[in-house]
Amino acid sequence: MQWNKIIKEMIFLLGISIIFAFTVNFFSPAGIALVGQWDESLGVIATKAKSDVFSGELEIKHVKIAKQIYDSDKAVFVDARSLENFENAHIKGAESLPLDQFDNLIEAFKEKYPADTIIVTYCLGRTCDDSHRLEQLLFDKGYVNVSVFIDGYQGWKAEGYPIE
Amino acid sequence: MLASLSMVIRAGKRRVTQLNNYLRNLFNNCWIEIAFRWILGITFIYASYYKIMSPTDFAKVVYGYNLFPEVLINPIAIILPFVELISGLSLLIGIYPRSAALIINGLLLAFIFILTINIMRGYEFDCGCFSTKKTGSPKLMVARDVIYLIMGLQIFLFNGVRKGCIIRVDRKT
Repeated sequence: MQWNKIIKEMIFLLGISIIFAFTVNFFSPAGIALVGQWDESLGVIATKAKSDVFSGELEIKHVKIAKQIYDSDKAVFVDARSLENFENAHIKGAESLPLDQFDNLIEAFKEKYPADTIIVTYCLGRTCDDSHRLEQLLFDKGYVNVSVFIDGYQGWKAEGYPIE
Repeated sequence: MLASLSMVIRAGKRRVTQLNNYLRNLFNNCWIEIAFRWILGITFIYASYYKIMSPTDFAKVVYGYNLFPEVLINPIAIILPFVELISGLSLLIGIYPRSAALIINGLLLAFIFILTINIMRGYEFDCGCFSTKKTGSPKLMVARDVIYLIMGLQIFLFNGVRKGCIIRVDRKT
């Protein structure tokens, strides 16, 4: 078997693949950074894509702070997960606003909650970014007091805080 | 007694030889080779599409395997879909098919290894094979990858003149 030839061809095919990959990633609006943030202890995992909507300043990074806000009764917790997950279990008193149903449900939500309502979005935990995307969508709809509880449902449940 | 035993052994050897010849003919059938090449080529091009369109989702699938160092997750999510695309295209249009088949066999071995490890660890995960949404059972994914691997081996070991190739690696020497 002509191994030398095969190895050269493989290097050629892999080289073309790598050149294409980085070129497309560089120009694509969906492109991602060369190194992402995959350490859950540092926050929500992310590829650091061009389309990312993360705003670290608006994140609630400690469960206890989220609980203090919850206990103050001044904020509405909004669940960005699917309705199915919400119905299984959610933070007690939370509203469901699944990301994929946002356009259908936002008008009813706006009627119920005025634009100055303090909103805390959450999803499953640090492995999801739906709460960040929901935060962005709520900003776009005029809500000004929106923050993201990054430990989400899992973090809340792990602390033994009220769920239903 | 000895004579009958040697007859049985000879008959057994004949059958093994027949089976060998049958398998050799099967492995050297040019129509099977082109069918396997197209099936694998189209499959890998299709598999690369979602990953290229949504590298963020694919990177999360790679992260979900819980096997790779953090610094490698994004590079894998960027490069792997294009290796699948270019190798798939190479098989489909016949540019260096043997080398493309070797790359694809390497990928398939890696997929089988990774899926098996996570099945053994009892992890629940998305394979991310054809879409970044939930796919079928990981055990079925392994079985499917083994079938693809057999196709890839046929393409790699094929010893005749390949049909429908733009740039062909000639017969084995």
